[in-house]
Amino acid sequence: MNTGTYSTTGELAKHATLILGALIVILPFYVMVSFSLKSPQEIGTHAGGFFGSQQAFLDQYCVKLGNPEADCWRNPAAYNYGNAFKKAPLLRYLLNGVIVTVSIFVIQVLIALPCAYALAKLRFWGRELVFGLVLFCLLIPVHAIALPLYIMLANVGLTNTYAALVIPWTISVFGIFLMRQFFKTVPDDLIDAARMDGMSEFGIVWKVMLPCAIPALMAFAIFSVVAHWNDYFWPRVVLTGSRDLYTPPLGLREFQGGLDGADTGPLMATATVIVIPLLVAFLLAQRKFIEGITLSGMK
Amino acid sequence: MILRHTRLAGYSFVLPALVLMFVILLVPVLVAAVLSFTDYSLGNSTADWLAWKNYEKIFTRSSYQKMLWASALYVLIVVPVSIALGLAAALAIHSLRFGANLYKTIYFLPVMAALLAMAIVWETALHPTIGIVNRSLEAGCGGWVETFFSWGWISGVDPEGSWYASSCEEGFPLWLGEKRYALATICFIGIWQAFGFNMVLYLAGLTGIPRELIQAAAMDGARSGWQRFRLVTWPMLGPTTVFVVTITAIRSFQVFDTVEALTEGGPSKTTYVMMYAIYEKAVEQNLMGMGSAITIVFLMLVMVMTALQRYMVERRVHYS
Repeated sequence: MNTGTYSTTGELAKHATLILGALIVILPFYVMVSFSLKSPQEIGTHAGGFFGSQQAFLDQYCVKLGNPEADCWRNPAAYNYGNAFKKAPLLRYLLNGVIVTVSIFVIQVLIALPCAYALAKLRFWGRELVFGLVLFCLLIPVHAIALPLYIMLANVGLTNTYAALVIPWTISVFGIFLMRQFFKTVPDDLIDAARMDGMSEFGIVWKVMLPCAIPALMAFAIFSVVAHWNDYFWPRVVLTGSRDLYTPPLGLREFQGGLDGADTGPLMATATVIVIPLLVAFLLAQRKFIEGITLSGMK
Repeated sequence: MILRHTRLAGYSFVLPALVLMFVILLVPVLVAAVLSFTDYSLGNSTADWLAWKNYEKIFTRSSYQKMLWASALYVLIVVPVSIALGLAAALAIHSLRFGANLYKTIYFLPVMAALLAMAIVWETALHPTIGIVNRSLEAGCGGWVETFFSWGWISGVDPEGSWYASSCEEGFPLWLGEKRYALATICFIGIWQAFGFNMVLYLAGLTGIPRELIQAAAMDGARSGWQRFRLVTWPMLGPTTVFVVTITAIRSFQVFDTVEALTEGGPSKTTYVMMYAIYEKAVEQNLMGMGSAITIVFLMLVMVMTALQRYMVERRVHYS
C-alpha cells in the first residue's frame, strides 16, 4: 500500500535482471575488444581470458613470405592494431569520416540558422507557407530517397566525390524546426536592441542569435555527428569506385569482405578504432549525448 | 523602413534552405515517382514507359512478396519487443535506489556504436567455431544448464525433445545461415541496438509523472503495483509511447546495415528487407525503374506512419 518504501527482495530482483541484461548488452563490446588483443591461436581456441596471454606468436604469413622465423614473432595486440592500420588505409578512412561529418554539420548550421531565425522572428509574406513546407519535409527520411538522389548525382557526374557524401545532408529540416522553436523563446527586446545599435539582420543572426543558441546547437551537433559518423547506407550507395573516399564503416566492411580466417584480430581492432571515439565521448559527456541523440524525441 | 528591410532579410535567409529543400527532398520524390513507371537504367539516354508494370511486380512476384513480408516481419518483431524491453528497463531503473545511472549508461552504449561495426562483431560472436555464443551454449551441454533448459523438471515436458537437448545432440545453429534463424538473429541485433534509445525516452516520460498522482491512486485503492501502472503510469506515458512506436517503426523499417553485411538478403530471401532490395536492384543491378518503384512504396509507408503519429499526438494534446 505504501508507495514510498521499497522492498529489499524487489530491489535485488531488479538488480539481478538488469545485470543479466547489461551482460547481453556488453557481450559484443567484450568480444570486440578482447579479440582485438588476442593472437589468432587464442581466438581459435578461446584461450587467454579477456586480455589474451600477450605472448608473442609466430606470424605464418610473414614466414610464407620467406622471412626467417626469428623475425616473425609478433606481439598479438601490436600485430592486430598494426595490421588494422597497415592492411587498409584506416587513417585515411578516419580522416574522411572527420571531414565529412564536420562539413555536414557546418553547412547544416550555415543553412538552417538564418532560416530558423527568419521563421521565428522576421515577418514576411509566405512565412507560414515555408514553415508548412519544413513540416512536410520532416516526413521524408533522406535514406528513403537515396536512390533518386543517387541517380541525380550520377547524372551530373558527382558520384565518388566528397560532395556526394555531403550534399544530401546539407539541408536539415529537423535542424531548422529545432532552432526555430528555440529562437521563439529568445526575447524580441534583445533583437530590437541590436537593431537600435545599427546591427544588420545578418549580424544579428551570427552575433546575437548564434551565441544564444549554443546549448541547443551543441545537442544538434551531437545528433548530427553521431548519425553521420555511423552512417553506412548513403556512403555505400554513392561510393562505387575508389577507396580513397571511404568513410570508417565502409572501410570496415571492405576489410571484412576480403577476409581470411587469420584476420579476425585485425578486423576487431579496426572495429574498435571506429567505435571507441564516440563511446569515449559519450562516457565523458553522457547527459549531453543522451540529450542530443534523443533530440528527435522532444518534438 | 525597418519593416521592408527585415522583409528582404527574411527572404534572403529563407532562400538557400528553400532551394535545398526543393532540390534535395522534393525533386527526388518526383524523380522516383516518374522513374518508377519506366525501365530506366544509368547510362541509357532513353527509357521505356512501363506504366504500372513495376508496381504490379512488387505485389505479385514471389521475390518481392518475400521482401514485403521480411520487412513487415522485422518491424512487427523489433518494434514491440524493443519497446517492451525499453519500458521494462526504464520502470526498473526508475525505481532503483542506487546504480540507476550505471545501467542507463550501459544500455545506451549500443545506440552510440556504429551499427555496421557491431553487426560484424555480432557475426564474430555468433560464428559456429570461434564464436562465444555457440561455445558457451555447448559448454552447458551435459551439465545442469542442459537439465534446466531442457525443461524436463516441468511436469509433462519431454526433455529429449527440447531445443537445447536436441541442439546438444546435433550441434547449435548457424544463426545467420539457416532459414529458420536468420531473420530472428537480424531482429535480435536490431532490438539489441534500439531498446536503450526507447528506455531513455521512457525514463524522461517517467520523470514527468508527478509522484502525488501515483500516491493518490494508491489512496484510492490501487493497491498493487500493476494496478497503479495500468491506471496511472501507462496512460501518462501515452504521448511518449506514440512517439516511441513511430520512431522505432520508421527506423526499423529502414534496416540495412545488418542485412547487407551479414546475410545479403538470404538465406532464400528470408531477410530480404526493402532497403536492401532497393540497394540490390538499383545500385548493384542498375534496375533504376524497379528500385524507384520500391522507393515509392517505401516512402508511402513511412509517410503514413509519421502522419498517423502526428494525428495521434495532436488528438492527445487536445483533450488533456
